[in-house]
Amino acid sequence: MEFKQVVGDRRTIRFFEPNKPVEPEKIQIMLEAANRSSRAVNADFVKAIVCYRDELSEEVREQLKTPTTTIQLDLAPVAIFWYGDMSFAQGAQDRLKELTDLGALPVTHGWSHAYVDDVAFKQVVEPMSKDQMASTWAVSVECGLAINQALLAAVDEGLGVGLHAFNAAAAKEPLGIPDHWIPMWVLLVGYPAEDRLGGGQRPRRPLSASFYRGRYGNPWEEISEVTEDLRRDGMLQDPMDAERRAAEVRELAERFGLPQ
Amino acid sequence: MSGELRSTPPVKQWFHSAGHEHAPEETQQRYLDILAGFCAWTEKAPDELVQFCFLRKKATGERFASVKRRGTMNDWIEQFVVEQGWTGKDAVANANVVRSFLIHNGVLIQGKVWTGG
Repeated sequence: MEFKQVVGDRRTIRFFEPNKPVEPEKIQIMLEAANRSSRAVNADFVKAIVCYRDELSEEVREQLKTPTTTIQLDLAPVAIFWYGDMSFAQGAQDRLKELTDLGALPVTHGWSHAYVDDVAFKQVVEPMSKDQMASTWAVSVECGLAINQALLAAVDEGLGVGLHAFNAAAAKEPLGIPDHWIPMWVLLVGYPAEDRLGGGQRPRRPLSASFYRGRYGNPWEEISEVTEDLRRDGMLQDPMDAERRAAEVRELAERFGLPQ
Repeated sequence: MSGELRSTPPVKQWFHSAGHEHAPEETQQRYLDILAGFCAWTEKAPDELVQFCFLRKKATGERFASVKRRGTMNDWIEQFVVEQGWTGKDAVANANVVRSFLIHNGVLIQGKVWTGG
């Protein structure tokens, strides 16, 4: 699938085919996509535990639920629990020197082993790693990048995905989570039982509501030809039709015995 | 019984919010019969079922949905289902009829999903 189509096709899927297994090969593609994501200091910020639903007891699944993560946890055959590693500074100097030796961090931009030791690590990475708020921010941003790549890779593989909160306290013991990992999200994965396009794209505000040129208050002006191209290439699609969606939800509720 | 039930405000709210008013007559009757049975089993009227799920903060008087009360309600629903002898998908779907009534009256209550064949 073309990249723009993947971005356009992504939806939060809440109804999965509960008994259609997800191929481990596709999960590996997702994990590799996460592993290829952009990352500061070439650190492995993101960690994940891949759980096949039926390997989790019903009791544990119940405990993992939150007010917003409900029966989708029972429907999705796979749940990937994402965490951020707060020990990212460990080994940072060696990794930065490796990138310097490879030329990814080139001398033209001021990089050398001495710069890594005296400036990049000592003045930036190390102080940040000791600042709880700054490191939580950095880890969260880095994890978001990686998770999104996994999520889009899943869409590219024809899977449905939904990113949700989970009860991290309940997950810690059964998943064996180390103390230096902080919880991010759970990514539910499976084949959609609903329309994989979710009845249309969710409402979004225009670019001008969030994006600016030069300074805040000067909204980005859309180039209509680009908008048209994105529509043709599948990034922009028709919006949801509430009536059609309601009918689909009714059918799914009947199928799964859910409240209507 | 179900005629009286249908005219109570929380049941009106349920039917209106869920669009059950437009469901076939026999479907509407099935929903009402299940709720009526649950009301009789708990010895609570529809509005009392809803009220049971909420408490008020002592300091401010603010109403909130009680986790413990909702847990109790879920336990009652499950016991009710067992006593009715419902099994399989019927057990899940009928329990979720009661939960639907509560959900449409502002009570977040999580049920089960039927994933069998």
